[in-house]
Amino acid sequence: MIGTKILLIFVFTAIGTAAGFTVMRAYRRDLAYLSGVCAMIDELKRNISYRKDGAADILRGYKSESDRLTVNIGEYLKYAAEKDGTLEISKGYLSAPVHKAVCGFFASLGRSDGDAQLKELDAYGSSFCKLRDAAKEKSEKYGALAVKLGFLFGLGVGVLFL
Amino acid sequence: MEELFRLIPDKYAAALAGLNADKLCELRIRNGLPVGVCYDGVYYYLAPNGITRDAGGAFSASPNEAEQVVMRACGRSIYTVTETLKRGYVAVSGGIRIGVCGSAVMSGGSITALKDFSSVNIRIPHEVIGCGATLFGKIAAGGRIESTLIVSPPGAGKTTVLRDLCRIVSEHGHNVMLCDEKYEIAASVKGVPTLNVGPRTDVISGADKHAVLRSGIAHMRPDVIMTDELFKEDTESVVRAAYSGVSVIATAHASSVAELLQKPDLAEIAARRVFARYAVIGDAPVRGVSVYHADGAERAA
Repeated sequence: MIGTKILLIFVFTAIGTAAGFTVMRAYRRDLAYLSGVCAMIDELKRNISYRKDGAADILRGYKSESDRLTVNIGEYLKYAAEKDGTLEISKGYLSAPVHKAVCGFFASLGRSDGDAQLKELDAYGSSFCKLRDAAKEKSEKYGALAVKLGFLFGLGVGVLFL
Repeated sequence: MEELFRLIPDKYAAALAGLNADKLCELRIRNGLPVGVCYDGVYYYLAPNGITRDAGGAFSASPNEAEQVVMRACGRSIYTVTETLKRGYVAVSGGIRIGVCGSAVMSGGSITALKDFSSVNIRIPHEVIGCGATLFGKIAAGGRIESTLIVSPPGAGKTTVLRDLCRIVSEHGHNVMLCDEKYEIAASVKGVPTLNVGPRTDVISGADKHAVLRSGIAHMRPDVIMTDELFKEDTESVVRAAYSGVSVIATAHASSVAELLQKPDLAEIAARRVFARYAVIGDAPVRGVSVYHADGAERAA
């Protein structure tokens, strides 16, 4: 009987902790996406200020650690390769403001001359970096907390259940 | 044709696919107007079943079709072609050159941008292997290539002859430096010529002649410099190159040597005896090349 109780407490604690880890992963996923966007903008700025390769050529060679950003880059590349394509950037887990900003960013690529494009990239870069910094703070502050709370919540539920 | 088809709507590509690619010279797209085709030197309209003289049965371009062509040509990155757009064209791989019209944005008396594209003229290059052989025979003497100015009206084949001459001169062991200002002679893509300009040819693409002639002679030590379309502002650079012992082969717009000598922007080059020969490309369909000595001008070589 005691063995079963201990097992139940262990199960609830494990579920709570897993939920906490899921929340932490979501924070880190957002951070990875926004960090990837910032690094991608830096890469675009570096290239356009010197080599001036096409945006699709630059992005084709860009490797992101964020799966979602890789999907969004793929969507842009598909649009760039099509004769009469329309740009559609999928939302996935992105929040509405981030998705809107990302759509605006991809839509702005290649629409102006070199100087204007660099200024636009600067503007997008600073706004995405602010979002990234906020996501980083959130991840650091609440990520570990979510795991701890999940653990305690699971433990509490287990104890109450008994 | 594959490169051309990438630029235009599928329905135009399907209509052009039935034509002889060797006779296709230009495709003219004007927003909201019938699509024009220059085929074998004659202008027609493009229709679903090929070419027609009936404007009513032709394809009509959409209101923003010129912009779509430009955006496809630059891979949807307009900043890659800003500099050439200011000069009125976009160069595409394979030697295709797109002349562009639209609204110019001016600043300080010069064009800073072109917007609201209204029409495009897609010029399709033709690589005619061997068309420069006769000319080569007349300008190669004692292991040296005479400085030569190739002359013809626009669209008569100067660039085609120059490209083949470049290949032949290069294959005969001369180091050639090719100034491909508009990417239409060698049509290099990522540093590799897409058209045959010979094994000993160094290509500088996109740069103006002044920069190429000044730095290229010093650093590449060419035997022959080849370039397209000379204008008045090129005079000093060409003269300096010719006086430094390098042969210069270039092209210019004129229908005859007499007309050339009357053009103010080229008369100075002629007067300073930069070119030893003038090669005049004749009218279609033969397009024979007549070569003249610079000293006697009209005396056939």
